[in-house]
Amino acid sequence: MTSFCKQQLADAGMDVADALERLMGSEALLERLLKKFLEDENYQKLCTALECADQEAAVAAAHTLKGVCGNLSLTVLYPLFTRQVEALRQGDWPAARALMEEIQPAYLHLTEAVRSAADCHEAG
Amino acid sequence: MAEEELQHVEKGTVLIVDDDAINREILKHIFSPYYTIEEAENGAEGLHRILMAPEQLCAVLLDVVMPKMDGIQVLRRLQEAGMLQKLPVFLITAETSDSVLKEAYELGVMDVIGKPVVPYVVLRRTQSVIELYQARRRLRRTVESQQARLLLQAKQIINLNQGMIEALAAAIEFRSEESGDHVRRIHDITKYVLLHTEMGAGLRREEINEIALAAILHDVGKIAVPDAILNKPGKLTAEEFEIMKTHTVQGAALLERIPQLEAYGAYHYACDIARHHHERWDGRGYPDGLRGEEISVWAQVVSLADVYDALSCKRVYKDAFPRERVLEMIRSGECGVFNPRLLACFFSVEEELSRLYQKGDAI
Repeated sequence: MTSFCKQQLADAGMDVADALERLMGSEALLERLLKKFLEDENYQKLCTALECADQEAAVAAAHTLKGVCGNLSLTVLYPLFTRQVEALRQGDWPAARALMEEIQPAYLHLTEAVRSAADCHEAG
Repeated sequence: MAEEELQHVEKGTVLIVDDDAINREILKHIFSPYYTIEEAENGAEGLHRILMAPEQLCAVLLDVVMPKMDGIQVLRRLQEAGMLQKLPVFLITAETSDSVLKEAYELGVMDVIGKPVVPYVVLRRTQSVIELYQARRRLRRTVESQQARLLLQAKQIINLNQGMIEALAAAIEFRSEESGDHVRRIHDITKYVLLHTEMGAGLRREEINEIALAAILHDVGKIAVPDAILNKPGKLTAEEFEIMKTHTVQGAALLERIPQLEAYGAYHYACDIARHHHERWDGRGYPDGLRGEEISVWAQVVSLADVYDALSCKRVYKDAFPRERVLEMIRSGECGVFNPRLLACFFSVEEELSRLYQKGDAI
């Protein structure tokens, strides 16, 4: 993983050093987990559940996303999902939906950075 | 234990139960240098894996929020199965609500480790506990194998004791020019009557075994009777008979002089039987002239067995009597009076006992 890639991920809200520490310094594992993050369907599940007001599904998806973000040291998204899980558990739909206004751009920014990191890895 | 198996035990297997693949990957990456890793994708699968072969695992890392069965439910089931004392379970969770933590600790979870995990922390907190449990397990195995060895040794000592008693009794019989079969038959008859008739009522099987063993020593006092009297063909003089009679008192005295025997279950039976196996129901036996219920049940049974066997076999002073004659002599009291209840019991199983005197047969 080039330092350019790392910088891109850092700009998108990831504490790369912290994530690598959790992975015992393995960049290979980090790349594998980021790929899994892209393939993960919980974000779509969350959006659908919020639309249909399906509390159980929304909590499950947000909870999983929170966990993933924690593990990958996504320092922008993690606290947002943490707040959302709380809001959903309390049945506070307006708060949970309002959080999407912050979550969505952060999520898109990050997935883009991950994709380009993957590309630049393949190119390199 | 095979070498490779030992190494497997030493390395240990950690089970990771988490529905999230990324979580599993991270934990696996942290633990795999030290442990063999197994994974389960939900609580139900994890519980199934644990209960299948818990002894193969050295720790379980358990997520809380999972589909199918959550971590708390898994903990509950493990607690019901008494598993949490033997296998350390760690909750790995972002769940920090007090009620969840409280329930987890009450159920017996070893520790709760926060997510996202910090490798150094999660390793330090689990490894020392795993080592402790492994040491305990090893210790338990050592104790178990030592216990098994002690039990085996105790059994060998009991067998040796029994062998020595039989050898002693047989040696005395050889002196009176009989084979060792007499004592063996007395043992068998006594045991059979006590096991299969109401004479044995109230005695445990273990006590009956001890009585049968003690019966073997009934004539041990004959060692103190001179050869000339013991092996005299034909009738003894009154004086000689008085000496012969002392084998009862001598036998009991001999046994009482061996203090090591006291701890042995058969000891008190053996003393009583040696002294009183010539007492008779009407008080006309010897050495103490006990009558009726004053004579213990076991001494009564052995005295009848002794008479029955003596009449059925050839002795230096007499030939063997035919079976019909033997039974008639016992019934009519020609060899002394026996407890009527004992006689009824004896005759009810005599058919089976008579097989002891048919060559090669056993009851």
